[in-house]
Amino acid sequence: MTPNGAIAVAVMMIALLLSGPGPGGVAILLVLGLAFAVIEVRSASLIALRRAATVVLPLAAFMVLVWVGIVGRAPSEIAADMPGTRAAALLHVALICGRLFFIVAVIQLVVLRFAHLTPLQFIRALSLPAGAKRLLVLTLSLIETLRHAIDRAHVALIAAGTLTRRFSLRNVIHSWRLVQAVWLSAVTIALGRMRDKWPVENTLDLLDRALENSNRRLFAGNDRIWLPITMGAAAVILLADLFPGAS
Amino acid sequence: MGRRELIAGPNFSGRSAAMLALLRDGQFARECFYVGPYAEAALSGLSSIIADEIEIYRAKPASVGRAIFAPNDFELLGRREPQTLSGGEQVLLALHCFSLSSYGAVAIDTALEQLDPANRDAALGYLDPRKKLVATVALIDNRLPPPLLGWDCLELTPGTKDFDCDPGGVVSDLSQWKAPALAMRGLAFTYPRGRQIFHDVSLTLESGTAYRLAGPNGAGKTTLLKLLVGVLAPSDGEVTLGGARYRPWRDGNRAIALATQNPDHQWCGATLAEDLARRRAAFARETHPEFLAEQRIARLARSLGVHSLDAHLYELPLAARKRLSWLWPLCGALPWVMLDEPSIGQDLSTRLRLAAAIARLTALGYGVLFVTHDDDFAGRIPHRVLAIGERTIRATS
Repeated sequence: MTPNGAIAVAVMMIALLLSGPGPGGVAILLVLGLAFAVIEVRSASLIALRRAATVVLPLAAFMVLVWVGIVGRAPSEIAADMPGTRAAALLHVALICGRLFFIVAVIQLVVLRFAHLTPLQFIRALSLPAGAKRLLVLTLSLIETLRHAIDRAHVALIAAGTLTRRFSLRNVIHSWRLVQAVWLSAVTIALGRMRDKWPVENTLDLLDRALENSNRRLFAGNDRIWLPITMGAAAVILLADLFPGAS
Repeated sequence: MGRRELIAGPNFSGRSAAMLALLRDGQFARECFYVGPYAEAALSGLSSIIADEIEIYRAKPASVGRAIFAPNDFELLGRREPQTLSGGEQVLLALHCFSLSSYGAVAIDTALEQLDPANRDAALGYLDPRKKLVATVALIDNRLPPPLLGWDCLELTPGTKDFDCDPGGVVSDLSQWKAPALAMRGLAFTYPRGRQIFHDVSLTLESGTAYRLAGPNGAGKTTLLKLLVGVLAPSDGEVTLGGARYRPWRDGNRAIALATQNPDHQWCGATLAEDLARRRAAFARETHPEFLAEQRIARLARSLGVHSLDAHLYELPLAARKRLSWLWPLCGALPWVMLDEPSIGQDLSTRLRLAAAIARLTALGYGVLFVTHDDDFAGRIPHRVLAIGERTIRATS
């Protein structure tokens, strides 16, 4: 399977989920996702599920608190000015969080499917224009710069006695200083590179060369199996939505 | 025929600007690899793992017929993030990338000062014109006295005196302060998903003594400083201060003034006034307010070449920021002073004056722990050596 094929399959699955399919359509998507996980990602699928849960569970807890605990009605009931129930509110939260869980899990499955590739190799393998690939690398670079700036700011503020390494009230009070220090660090790191190293070396031209992909085939290998299956599933789900009586 | 250009001169003589001008004029080299003073300007910043950093620079086809500079096995470290390497290791990685690239020239701005003696010798050997391994080199290095055999020397005259610096003036009004002993018992530390750095380290650091942390690049010198100020938490063991349990990673740093290797890892405000106001608030209970009184701090900043507390830190030249980073440890507000590579990027006369200031601080009873690869600088401070290696620390002299 190629990164192009995996991303195409993932995008189709996510788009279908967001189209609001009925229970049958959701079941088809779940089976498709499960098959992809078992066949392509195997045991690492558990990592994908764990990461998806890590992302979604805090949001789910917050939404349960707000919608079930405080509001006590689903948004549709509020719009219709009905009294509503907490069960309906819980169903609303479950639907939103279930969708988000599926989306994160599918993205993680694609990431883990190509865990043997470095980020640069993954981006190089994509069939995208050079500018788009460069943009992807620069986006990753920005994320890394921010992570590095957070590390730097932590060192500065902990050594200066302003923050502690563990959670503390002091950290909450001074959190805005961390934001300021991270911002200053990120800007200076980025400026340092763009002012000196990149212009001297023409580093970005070098990057374009490093991202050139000699293999021009868009899809290969298992792509030829997964893409038709996913498109078939899409056809079934969309037709079922268009002609609900047919099913 | 290759060219070797050593750009010499004191701080603020315009060496970095002269180097960049040389690189831009096109006659020095058509394209040039650049290793800046600190990690952020040594690596490309375009890769999230070491293997990708190498891949970006690797020439295609892979072999360009040049000797590969590989003091470390970076292929083995391929999955690590470049930022998790020590400062010296990042410089070595940059040189490794250069050796794999198709660049015909390399420019190095003081970065070799971060290397341990063995790696520094290896790097200088790699650049040596007699070995003909690298065609063209421009170098700024405060520890290489010109003339060098086979090198052209661009000797710059002293420039602005605006940043003239006297570290001795910072410690001149300090009086005796016996620092409490800092002890480690069974200290262990392992980076998450990384290697073990320390195992069962037991050590007592006494007041009135300067300790030099020595060891190869990546041995864990900076890691120990981060443990003692509370940036990292040990995986086992304990630290005591004056016999009482001291857990800065849990309760916050209360006793140690740290100057980081890269001064920009140290600031907690946009201006010096803001930075010091925050330190004043954080250490109000641990130190006498006089140490951080605004008038005194303004005077100390002037001694280090900065004439306004409201100057934006990042608008000062790097060498001036490095000097300013000494203000906090040298002002005497806290009993323990830790300096990570304090002499990097500084000319000889400044290094000598800094060494004298540290020696005076030690004589007054403060505890001092410093990291340096500069033997000449360390030799001017009466000190004991703490050698880091094989996951432990040994006091050797």
